[in-house]
Amino acid sequence: MGVPMASITLNRVSAVRDRWSLSASGTFNEGVHLVSGEVGSGKSTLALMMAGLFPPSGGDIGKEGITTSMLSLPFPELHVTAISVAGECASWGVDPGEILDAIGLAGKKESSPLSMSRGELKRLHLACVLAKDYDLLLLDEPFSSLDCEEKVKLCKRIGQQSQGICVIFTHEQNILPRVTRIWEIVDGMLVDCGTPPDAFTHWHHVPPVITKLTALGARPDNISPDDFLEAVCRIQG
Amino acid sequence: MITAEFLCYRNLAIDALTIKPGITTIIGANGSGKTTFLKLCAGIAVPDSGSLMIDDAPPRETEIGWVNEFPDRNILFVNVFDEIASPLRFRRIRCNEIDSNVHACAEAMGITHLLKRAVGELSGGEKVLVSLAAALVHHPEVLVLDEYDSHLDARALATIEQGIRTSGADYIIRCTQQMDTAINSDYLLFFDAGRITHAGTPDHVFPFLKGTAYYPVLWGCRWPASP
Repeated sequence: MGVPMASITLNRVSAVRDRWSLSASGTFNEGVHLVSGEVGSGKSTLALMMAGLFPPSGGDIGKEGITTSMLSLPFPELHVTAISVAGECASWGVDPGEILDAIGLAGKKESSPLSMSRGELKRLHLACVLAKDYDLLLLDEPFSSLDCEEKVKLCKRIGQQSQGICVIFTHEQNILPRVTRIWEIVDGMLVDCGTPPDAFTHWHHVPPVITKLTALGARPDNISPDDFLEAVCRIQG
Repeated sequence: MITAEFLCYRNLAIDALTIKPGITTIIGANGSGKTTFLKLCAGIAVPDSGSLMIDDAPPRETEIGWVNEFPDRNILFVNVFDEIASPLRFRRIRCNEIDSNVHACAEAMGITHLLKRAVGELSGGEKVLVSLAAALVHHPEVLVLDEYDSHLDARALATIEQGIRTSGADYIIRCTQQMDTAINSDYLLFFDAGRITHAGTPDHVFPFLKGTAYYPVLWGCRWPASP
């Protein structure tokens, strides 16, 4: 018997608050998933519900083959538990020396995590999160605070995940990893747009660059900068 | 004009810089000095040496609107209406005038539905919209926006773009990691390790960034001429 494939199924899951509501159904299988949606549409609420940290108002969430899971919150300071950067790494069970070298923050070992710039703290947080493999990895706005080069590096790192479910909740439109499936929240409902590139035709939050490339007769195969560049090359010949 | 001369502060050093009225966007890596420069423009920090003047006055004698990427750090009040009203209340403006200004500003930002909500319940993006409304409600001469867009979707960004362009602020100085936003600027500054290495219109600056993560994907094949 092999290891069962991980999956998480939302069965008429709902969250209701005053006049705002969110309902979600669908199965997230192994691979990289993108969930897009407008500000306040419920991306973070959905992430919290999938992480088991926020009880749905209705419906249920079924998990299979998931023994380890992690939710990365949009604001990295919410994760800080130690008074030094080295202590923060240790709190995640990772070797500070190794990880700080890798992300260019070796000189900050004794600094307070909250004294670092927001980009540095986000880099530290994501490096700690991504140092381990999880069956279910939920990344809520992982690209916020990162500069363009760091976003590209994060995309590559996410692309190296060989197993498990990775769900990215974001409004980022330009620098994204190659994804297996695209979802979006529209009018309070989670919609499964399908797999790229077919998903582009009915994806409300399709990045403008994809719309423009498609109009130029060069629809990209997926949503990463490499896919965009490949499409640009097709235009330029 | 905003002028900087022999400006030094922490890792930032600018020998000479002139910024004309309009939208100036700063791009560059984390730690390159973007936020430091914005803090100097907003008067939150003062130079160690040299000067930065806005129309011949120091920033601290100028009406400034400031929005931080992490609005929680600046939000003072529990509910949205009170937060947006606060700059006007601090100026002891009449209550009925405050009410109408807050409502007009909230409407422009598309957040009228949030006015009675507690700020703590809002999403990250909604908090940015509230902060922006609070920064604009007193009609600043200079609007300083520090990576305000990193928690916003395309629709909210379009609303904000419209909001800042019609704000009446003479100078809008912002930093962003969204090159789609940077394209729509009058003036672009590229920061690298505390220095401005490229300055000019987007047409002038972007060609220097070819091959980097800051080069807009479609810059090389724009169609027809850019709007």
